[in-house]
Amino acid sequence: MRWRRFTRRIALATLIAMQARPALAYLELGVSVGGRQVKLAWPQATVRYSVSNAGVPGVSATDFQAAVGRAFATWEAVPTAAITYQFNGFTSALPGRDDGTSTLGFQNRPDLDRVLAATSFVTDSVSGALIESDIFFNSAFAWSVAPNGEANRFDVESIALHEIGHMSGLSHSALGETELRAGGGRLVTAAETVMFPIAYAVGSVAGRTLRADDITGITDLYPSSNPSQPSGSISGRVTKNGTPVFGAHVVAFDPVTHALVGSFTLDAQGRFAISSLPPGPRVLRVEPLDDAEIDSFFDPSRNVDIDFRVAFVDRIVVVPRGGDSGEVTIEVVPK
Amino acid sequence: MATTARELARHRETHESLRVIACVAIALLATTAREAAAQSAALGSGRIEMSAGAAWLSSQAFGSADANETTSANAPFRLFSTSSELGSAAGLDARVGVRLAGTLVVEADASYARPELRITTSSDAESATGLTAAERLQQYMIGGGATWYVPTASRVAPFVAGGAGYLRQLHDRALLVQTGRYYRFGGGVVYLLSSQSTGTLKATGIRVDLRATTFKDGVALDGDTHVAAAVAGSFLVRF
Repeated sequence: MRWRRFTRRIALATLIAMQARPALAYLELGVSVGGRQVKLAWPQATVRYSVSNAGVPGVSATDFQAAVGRAFATWEAVPTAAITYQFNGFTSALPGRDDGTSTLGFQNRPDLDRVLAATSFVTDSVSGALIESDIFFNSAFAWSVAPNGEANRFDVESIALHEIGHMSGLSHSALGETELRAGGGRLVTAAETVMFPIAYAVGSVAGRTLRADDITGITDLYPSSNPSQPSGSISGRVTKNGTPVFGAHVVAFDPVTHALVGSFTLDAQGRFAISSLPPGPRVLRVEPLDDAEIDSFFDPSRNVDIDFRVAFVDRIVVVPRGGDSGEVTIEVVPK
Repeated sequence: MATTARELARHRETHESLRVIACVAIALLATTAREAAAQSAALGSGRIEMSAGAAWLSSQAFGSADANETTSANAPFRLFSTSSELGSAAGLDARVGVRLAGTLVVEADASYARPELRITTSSDAESATGLTAAERLQQYMIGGGATWYVPTASRVAPFVAGGAGYLRQLHDRALLVQTGRYYRFGGGVVYLLSSQSTGTLKATGIRVDLRATTFKDGVALDGDTHVAAAVAGSFLVRF
């Protein structure tokens, strides 16, 4: 099959249990094709998926399918985005096989002792188009599909919601706070995105709800053809002593809806952009990525600057209807 | 603490302004009452009344809002807090009226001001220094209403007035337009500088308005209606 000859698998270890991982705000995944960066997204409006017919203790294959079905439905319900998912039936295949079918299922990976689940992709190496995406749930952990969660078991629906975000093309978000654990790793204090790279505490079902950052991300990837109102964007630069800052986390707060949406400075000029935002005034806050390890997200060769203080921008930034705020320059100071 | 001090100062300033307005109103009405008995000059003839001048509008507090994240227990975790307001502003005020009958004037009015929208941040979870982010708006108010003059032969004519209209607020560089409505009610006095029954120009005078204006929608970040006090002084002509 032609696509086999011209595809490649991209492995992306994602949701981590109790370990620091740096994150990107609703960043989108991309692949390099012929020296150019191509956004990783489904070319078709409906993504078909299958579910492995093997369950784990406490979660049958049917339970698992129902839980991931609810997670798919949650993404599908975003009114500003146009992507749908369709269950194609159970399969005996396991996730991770390049068979042209996107498959979700359990795999026992005790070697990945901090990875709850992971998403991988098969892309066309010529066009960069997404062909297949598989999600495995690590059965080395205990899982639950109980409506209110279960103590000492991770919630399938919450973790599926995160992984389906990846499957749809979203990367990690940094809209979360962590604290160091005495025994190593980090514990999530709070997050305002399901795409935060570290899972909520075991037993929690707080990750079943999409937040503004997630909704903005999926909307940016798959915008509805009939939006209720035109969206706008914020763009600008972050500098320190006049020098561009790479990897600064810029968060926009909507004082009307109280929504938080973030992005990063991602080029040598310290530029950032946050798009698909509802019009209105915003408060901007910029912070260093100092809660977690940097190189899990950014290429280790990139010099992510975390030596600056958290700061607010001293002017209100306005998201116009259908346009951009105009460049916002944010000068930060070293710690 | 700085925020609290500023807010207290602002409230005190608003209350003092209102107190001054009230004193001026009482003084003018007292003057009117004294002069009404003694004077015989007409309220002013002429059917068309125009006035233009300056106005001052008090600030409107939009309350506070927290930027929250969500904990494992589905509880809010405050990343930082904000409080916001539309600052007081001076502006231009104009109206054109037609005397319908007796001392009742129906009028169209317009005003322009550049209030500052301010959002103050505080209580940051990562100890970011709080500050006040601001932007200067352009605010247009266009509406209609009526003014009823207390019948008097005095050169000083008290009145009550009310009306409603369209509110248009433009953000920085006109990037975004937000609209709403306003309702105003108040009173004041007209002091006639000159009055004649012949010629085109029937009268000139000074008009002082004191009013409460209720704003609905527009840039109100909390979505509520807000009341602002306003005082305006204008030069009036009657034709």
